[in-house]
Amino acid sequence: MIRALREVEGGLRLLMNVWLRVPALRRAPVRESFLRQIYFTGVTASTGVVLRASGLGALIIAFTMQVLDADTSLAVKILLWVVLREVGPLAAAMVVILRTGTAVSAELAMMRISGQTDTLRRMGIEPYDYLVVPRVMGVMVATAALTCYIQFLAVAGGMILSPFVIQASFTELYTRFFDLVAPVDFAYSLLKSLMFGFAIALTCCYHGLNPPALTLNGVPQSVTRAVTQSAIAVLVINALFAYLVFGVLFFGLVKAVV
Amino acid sequence: MSALALRYDLKRDGHAPVSVAVPGGTTQRVRLPDTEARNHLVGAVLSTRCGLDEELELFGEPVRGLKRLQRGRLHERIGVLTQAMGLISNLNAWENISLEAAYHGTQPIARIAQTAREALQSLGAEPQAFLARLPDEMDPFERKLVAFLRLLAKEPALALIDGLGEGLNREQSARAARFEAEYRARQPEGTLVFVDLAEEEVP
Repeated sequence: MIRALREVEGGLRLLMNVWLRVPALRRAPVRESFLRQIYFTGVTASTGVVLRASGLGALIIAFTMQVLDADTSLAVKILLWVVLREVGPLAAAMVVILRTGTAVSAELAMMRISGQTDTLRRMGIEPYDYLVVPRVMGVMVATAALTCYIQFLAVAGGMILSPFVIQASFTELYTRFFDLVAPVDFAYSLLKSLMFGFAIALTCCYHGLNPPALTLNGVPQSVTRAVTQSAIAVLVINALFAYLVFGVLFFGLVKAVV
Repeated sequence: MSALALRYDLKRDGHAPVSVAVPGGTTQRVRLPDTEARNHLVGAVLSTRCGLDEELELFGEPVRGLKRLQRGRLHERIGVLTQAMGLISNLNAWENISLEAAYHGTQPIARIAQTAREALQSLGAEPQAFLARLPDEMDPFERKLVAFLRLLAKEPALALIDGLGEGLNREQSARAARFEAEYRARQPEGTLVFVDLAEEEVP
């Protein structure tokens, strides 16, 4: 319990630190680290893992349509509500946790244990500026980009796949989808993915910089905690978002065009 | 302003007092009686702070009671090569050398690159290949060389090198001994201090 409270307090302090230190991105090495993080999290993930994750979207559509005996109208709703709004951001978040979250927490834990964070301080370089800010910002941007990429692939895959399962042409699905989709859907998933990226990076940085022991045994423990808590954070944010946006705020304000 | 670049006194219970005085612009080899005294001296210079049992003056200025800004200014004039070397493992040699200067914007990167290239060539390393390597791919001498180049990039008025020959074989120690000439060539007015234990052979 005390540890959990300490982690919450540490996480909140780190959160404040990150926002206050965003101007550090003007410094050349921090900017370089930020771009490197985007490359690692976004570009390198976009080849194999994302293709597999987007296949999941297509699989969900095929499965749901078969089970629900869907028609064109339901197929489009599934594409929009399930794949675009939910599966896209969640799949991107899971890819980021598995690839980047583990790497960031292990890397920072190793740096902390081997005294490299102290070396940075001795050079007058604040570890929050050089290690945390570029990672958090980079992961946020990359998660949003990955989400768009997965959404595109999953929706396109769903549209191509659906005519084999239901009585509807690709053109019909395409037309109905773009009639139904609204800018708020993209804003919703973009904002959600940015928050996912922020929560994942912050959690992983926190556990990386605060390993349970300053020995090599601390590294796997840090990674385990970082991954578990990142996944929990993502699910909590997802639930809160769905409730706030579709349960409270938008009910009656935004009318779905169905 | 005193002519001494470094003055250090350490008084410990049950040990003989340690006193070090290094005039500015010279090269000195300081041999300390034990590891604890050595760690005290290196730690004090590195952090520009001293404990209750020690006194440190840098360029005639006592470090005790310095304000943060004054400490920062003093720190900019000092370069320390410790035994741990303090390289960042996920940065290559060039990034390790240039990180501090690039972060603080104190030295032009082009000048650091030129210094690193020239020093590497005179120490017998091929700059292009060497600068692209990660610390984990290097032997102890090469890691020490990166830490030394990082020190040179700072253009310090006072350079302190701790245990230069430690962890190196005879051939590597001979190469490391050329660090003094490299420093002197770039900082003719600078002060260079080698710190070692009394019973050790200084290269």
